[in-house]
Amino acid sequence: MDDILSPGFSIPSIGHAPTPLHHSLDADQQIEALPHQVYHPPAPEPTTAAATAQQQQQQTDNGTGVPDGSSGSGLFGHEPSMPLAHKQMQSYQPSASYQQQQQQQSSNTGGSTPQSLMQPQTPQSMMSHMMPMTERSAPGDSSLSNIHQTMGPSTPMTPATPGSADPGIVPQLQNIVSTVNLCCKLDLKRIALHARNAEYNPKRFAAVIMRIREPRTTALIFSSGKMVCTGAKSEDDSRLAARKYARIIQKLGFPAKFLDFKIQNMVGSCDVKFPIRLEGLVLTHCNFSSYEPELFPGLIYRMVRPRIVLLIFVSGKVVLTGAKVRQEIYDAFDKIFPILKKFKKQS
Amino acid sequence: MSYQLYRNTTLGNTLQESLDELIQYGQITPALAFKVLLQFDKSINNALNQRVKARVTFKAGKLNTYRFCDNVWTLMLNDVEFREVHEFVKVDKVKIVACDGKSGDFN
Repeated sequence: MDDILSPGFSIPSIGHAPTPLHHSLDADQQIEALPHQVYHPPAPEPTTAAATAQQQQQQTDNGTGVPDGSSGSGLFGHEPSMPLAHKQMQSYQPSASYQQQQQQQSSNTGGSTPQSLMQPQTPQSMMSHMMPMTERSAPGDSSLSNIHQTMGPSTPMTPATPGSADPGIVPQLQNIVSTVNLCCKLDLKRIALHARNAEYNPKRFAAVIMRIREPRTTALIFSSGKMVCTGAKSEDDSRLAARKYARIIQKLGFPAKFLDFKIQNMVGSCDVKFPIRLEGLVLTHCNFSSYEPELFPGLIYRMVRPRIVLLIFVSGKVVLTGAKVRQEIYDAFDKIFPILKKFKKQS
Repeated sequence: MSYQLYRNTTLGNTLQESLDELIQYGQITPALAFKVLLQFDKSINNALNQRVKARVTFKAGKLNTYRFCDNVWTLMLNDVEFREVHEFVKVDKVKIVACDGKSGDFN
């Protein structure tokens, strides 16, 4: 507990994102009526997108993605699992041929073709300065004004999938559910009375429901000390949010630890931008899919490998869920896309 | 038992003072005074619920924090505008403590 409270912790995985500066404030504000302890994480300077890209360049050079000089002690230390996630992300790149095709396109039209139009316009693109998305953008891309392009770094161009008919559509993560064990019994009433933005109605549900604004998430906190964190849009955000909740619990005087953090589910979505004949799809893939328009307007496709459930709608919108890692979502979409193209509605 | 929320109003305070005085002069027992106050809690909840026609609306710029514990909502609002038909008041910070109007009401 002591080391967790130490003020000098650093956040190796997200340390260079511009946001944590007011993260810390947020965590502080979450608790009232308690003397404020020293809590000053090293506030990183807000960096421009270009600078972030540079930083990532350095990181990829290092190969590990762990910035050096981190004290490694404290709440945000010891995170060996983070670099792993980065590797997985990097391994997903659109095929080389597609990239060239894209570049040709943009040069043909005088570079004015907004490549971003090829992508689902989800709020994710606004978060492009955060880890996962920029990680996948090439460092040189920042000159092209579309840093949220999803092309991989230009050096190791390994097509991740054989399907070279890559549409340039990348599923955007919409929700991540994670769990963590705080390893101490909690007095939920005390938490509900002293923490802000908490709800506790034991008649309805035996957990405190707490929310924070940055990263915008909701946590369910149980008296056993287990916690569920939902609503984050990236793995790092989910972990950061869970740590913030743990920190809030700690500040209320519980000896909370941060053990067994695990991402339990990830949900992604995207738009293939053409209508789909679900009736045809359900006939040919009957052992994977179920389509009952009277019950639910979407087709439910239970992919076996990767084990992902997809909701496919006539409009061309696709929801992918059930993933434990981001790559499963991408793999599932790469697998379903050629199938969807076959059932494109001709009109 | 009703919430004793309204004992701290002008009406509640003057009632308590009068009861104290009556106790001092030995005209009623403390037990009776207690009973009167309980009835007051009930009656004022009832009266505010049914007899008050005035209506004030308010709108907050932002919900700063909220809490729900023991069936009580606590809301901290920022930039609140209170509006009665012609009157208009703007307040930076407002704390709202809201109890369930029905629970614990015996009448």
